[in-house]
Amino acid sequence: MKNKILSILLVMSILAVPVLMSGCTDSSQSIDSDNNNTGESSSEQTLVLGEMWDIENIDPASAGTVICEKAAVTETLVAANPDFSLEPGLAITWKQVDNLTWRFDLRQDVKFHDGSMMTAEDVKFSLERTMNENPRVKSMSAIDSIKVIDDHTLEIKTTETNPILAGVMHYPDTSIISESSLDENGNFVKPVGTGPYSFESFNEQTRVLTVVKNKNWWGGSVGLDKMVLKGMPDPNTRAMAIENGELDFTVDVPYSETDRIDAIEGINVEKYSTPRVYTMDTNLEDEALSDERVRKAISYAINRDDIVEHVLYNVGSPAAGPFLPSMTWANKDLKPYEQDIDKAEELLSQAGWTDTDGDGIRDKDGKSLEFELLTYAARPGLPPMSETIAAQLKDIGISVSPQVLEWGAISDKRESGNWDLVLAAYNIAMVPDPFYVLNNWYTTDGPDNTPGYSNAEVDSLVEEAKYIRDLDKRYEKFNQVEEIVYEEQPKILIAYYGCAIVKKDSVKNYVFDPTAHDYRVNAGMYIEK
Amino acid sequence: MYRYIFKRMIFTAITLFAVFALTFFLMNVIPGGTSEMILKHTFIGLEESATQEQMVQVSARYNLNDPLYIQFIDWLKRGIFEGDLGMSFVYHKPVLDLLLLRLPATIILALSSMFIAVVGGVSLGIYAALKENKTADHLLRFLTLFGVSMPGFWVALVLILIFSVYLKMVPVAGYGSIENLVLPAFALSIHSLASIMRITRTSMLETLGQDYIKFATAKGLPVNRIISRHALKNAMLPVVTVLGFQMGAMLGGSVIIETVFAWPGIGSLLVNSIFARDLYVVQACIIVIVFLFLIVNFIVDLVYIYLDPRIRYG
Repeated sequence: MKNKILSILLVMSILAVPVLMSGCTDSSQSIDSDNNNTGESSSEQTLVLGEMWDIENIDPASAGTVICEKAAVTETLVAANPDFSLEPGLAITWKQVDNLTWRFDLRQDVKFHDGSMMTAEDVKFSLERTMNENPRVKSMSAIDSIKVIDDHTLEIKTTETNPILAGVMHYPDTSIISESSLDENGNFVKPVGTGPYSFESFNEQTRVLTVVKNKNWWGGSVGLDKMVLKGMPDPNTRAMAIENGELDFTVDVPYSETDRIDAIEGINVEKYSTPRVYTMDTNLEDEALSDERVRKAISYAINRDDIVEHVLYNVGSPAAGPFLPSMTWANKDLKPYEQDIDKAEELLSQAGWTDTDGDGIRDKDGKSLEFELLTYAARPGLPPMSETIAAQLKDIGISVSPQVLEWGAISDKRESGNWDLVLAAYNIAMVPDPFYVLNNWYTTDGPDNTPGYSNAEVDSLVEEAKYIRDLDKRYEKFNQVEEIVYEEQPKILIAYYGCAIVKKDSVKNYVFDPTAHDYRVNAGMYIEK
Repeated sequence: MYRYIFKRMIFTAITLFAVFALTFFLMNVIPGGTSEMILKHTFIGLEESATQEQMVQVSARYNLNDPLYIQFIDWLKRGIFEGDLGMSFVYHKPVLDLLLLRLPATIILALSSMFIAVVGGVSLGIYAALKENKTADHLLRFLTLFGVSMPGFWVALVLILIFSVYLKMVPVAGYGSIENLVLPAFALSIHSLASIMRITRTSMLETLGQDYIKFATAKGLPVNRIISRHALKNAMLPVVTVLGFQMGAMLGGSVIIETVFAWPGIGSLLVNSIFARDLYVVQACIIVIVFLFLIVNFIVDLVYIYLDPRIRYG
């Protein structure tokens, strides 16, 4: 009798598994297209995209990078060229009328996915909603009020002079949605935008986002019939999924795998530099680091080419100034510090740091030249880079102990002043304008000025540039700032971050947009059979 | 018997409360201010700085400025009396909805893994015991040592490489059909399978050495009768003990497996929420996991009674 019970239980549990599984696929709120569809139906072009983060929500006010840039469902007022200069998006022209007032003229032929035409009222609604939801857009834009002048003209007033307002309108979280995206209670339901692809479904359980071609897109024809975006946080999994044919397009497979995957027939890998830079912050309160010669010595001791080739596997490039040389405002006269051990050693000796006790580490007045280098693991290139830097600095007699911590821990240490060096990867084009970075990093009260750098000339140059509207003259001031900080090295810039785009050979006409945050999907991309 | 069950319920409730309080305390003590980390995870990006006004806006929205004990009591009241577990800062959804979405995935994964581990482990353990000190036994013991020592994510990636990329038998990752379940369940089960196999083998050997087994053999019973009728139940006691803890290990190990296979379960939800300091989600996840663990152990204790009628609970 008891044996019977056992065997019945056994059989039931075997049967339970498929029953539970089939129950689950039905419980999602929407259609879930076949996940293992590697052979698309002959007439429909479907692209399966492996995204590097989990898709957490579909509200463009906070998930702008997904909905606007990767799924191409919504669009922003302002677009940008690959050199980061601004160009018309949903707005044709914009003008700063006086210190606090801007005027935006909108396109007249834009239709939302629900069929209605886009008017200034819609834009006002969308922007006000974003500012309410998103504290960052609120502070970056400094918008005080938005007034509708007529159906296609808007007047925006700011609380203070904000030279980068047009650039802020490029930020994906400011992308425009129609009021029909919300329900009667004002809750967000789905993104109804203006982009080349329209929202079809989002499976809450598997977090797979499906979008389909928008036949009425104002920008022209759209390449794909359908796109399926799946979040796969593990880079190894993404690599194997595209090797296996389950994905058509993905990004950032492990750096060490990029060349191997490129060599596989049917898949190609393209490496691009993105507007993010690996930077080593120095604590200028530290006695040794407050000496410019020590910082320059460190910069001369680092072999950037080596790091880019062997740590990043060429996904990225050596950095000179904080801006990519391709950016229209960058100071193109600056070149990355080349490794020069002799010069580094000479500078250290001049600064008084010599190896008096023969232990291989320089010292001065009884104190050894040693630092703790903190970094975090969320960006895969950082931990190996920190170890490489530690090894390179050891060669000139500086002892560096690398430590990998969680970002929250690093934040706390910085706040308490208990740090020497921090290696991080900072974004340099949150909005396509240099003011943001130079102000935040290098002015005396800049919010990201973690070294504690203070240079009166830099402060005045940045302040002056704030009020200059002529772009060339503005950039000239910024170039001067770049030159100064290049000499003084409060932040030691190592390399530009890179992005590896991995796609099947059948995916054609992809254009990489460096102004996006991670990467952007363009409307012209299509699959060739 | 019923008194025993009642006592266990009280015990479970007390444990859950203690875990809840501890989690709440820990989340507020770990480095990195809560509102700052929420901002960085949801709106501004990890390396950007959070301005004072941004932090104020977030703190106000989620009541993070109230003294800790007020937040604590508030959450308890709403959770117990209204069934409202709060909102997730990251997903902008009620925590209860999130749990209901993600829990089935983890339960399926854990149950299937447990099933594989138990069926595989017990049968291999019995086989190894019968073939004691022969080649098959040595081979199995070596393999289990390997299985217990290898880290979970490595095993998962190797399995994907062999069965997905080379043999193309199953898809690499994802969720939705039985094919997606095979590799993750197997990868998660390996540790437990190895442990269970070893314990079964040892326990079975010990049982087989007993007098009553010798008597049964002398009586002329065939081997499979001896095992299934007499030896198995007695040998299972230590194995069942271990099962309870294996379930806990499985719930923990599921985090890595879920990340590697893009399996939308509670484990990966918990880890991401900890990084983002998504307080309410973390609380809810931990309570669910602890609750599952306690339930499994409770069932294990009840199974003892079935296995060995000499055991009685007061």
